[in-house]
Amino acid sequence: METLGIVISVAHIAAAIALLNGVFTTFGQARVAAQAIESMARQPEAADDIRSAMFVGLAFAETSGIYGLLIAIIMLFANPLVNRLISLIG
Amino acid sequence: MNLLDIRNRWVIQIAGVEVWITETIVNTWIIMAVLIGLAVIVRFKLRKFKEVPTGFQNIIEAAVEIFDNFVVGTVGKKLSYIAPWFFAVFAFILLSALSSIVGLRAPTADWATTFALALASFVIMFVLGVKYRKGAYLKGFVDPHWIFFPMNLIGELAKPVALSFRLFGNMLSGTIILTLYYALTPKFVQFGIPAFLHAFFDVVFGGLQTYIFVIISLMYVRIAADDNW
Repeated sequence: METLGIVISVAHIAAAIALLNGVFTTFGQARVAAQAIESMARQPEAADDIRSAMFVGLAFAETSGIYGLLIAIIMLFANPLVNRLISLIG
Repeated sequence: MNLLDIRNRWVIQIAGVEVWITETIVNTWIIMAVLIGLAVIVRFKLRKFKEVPTGFQNIIEAAVEIFDNFVVGTVGKKLSYIAPWFFAVFAFILLSALSSIVGLRAPTADWATTFALALASFVIMFVLGVKYRKGAYLKGFVDPHWIFFPMNLIGELAKPVALSFRLFGNMLSGTIILTLYYALTPKFVQFGIPAFLHAFFDVVFGGLQTYIFVIISLMYVRIAADDNW
């Protein structure tokens, strides 16, 4: 029982650490948006092209954040190690 | 809490193999029925379409025309015949994101659905790449040297995975936040306030992620099939 408690608490800490990559993802996305706005202000006639390129850039920058989120979700709700441990304990 | 394990409705046996009819599949059928119904209505109205569009015809023509122009602007004139498939994908993803407003679990919050869509984009990308650039596309796999083949292969196979995870993660996070809200708050705040959460997570994020899924699929197709990219 104690082992199970340790595994579950470590899984929660791991989920929190996995979500920390949101910090860097947000920095990256902020940079994309800032640059896009700057170039839109410089060239308002190219605003539409810049906007669509910005959305694509935002989506690519978001990928790592999504990976972290998925790892956190797997750790919390579908942790394979916990199930294995439960079957080991019996 | 039922967040990741999609509820199982029925188990049917087909030739000794268990087939699980999950909530995702039922919701997908509902959305497909709505889309097919809409398509049939449009088909019957098509006979009465006039030269100068008004009302219902106007909406349909505007939707198709805007999407066609969007596809032509993204992949160019030569490849614009893939527009109908991506219009269908667009309609399906958007409607499944909007379906969680009426209380259905969005089918795109299940990785199987998004991976199927992403795999279809991947197949289109590969087939069109081979069709239009032939050897040059396949040579891209061994680009600087044949020793880089495993890395290029992984990079190429990561495309559908990243594409599907992006949509899945966004839809699932919205579903989780709304499920948590409904589970944790008392009954008297579950009236009215969730509308804003739904508007944000389903309508805004759903629409944005639909757009991003389609435009990134189109970009992959263009990168694969266009010489001058």
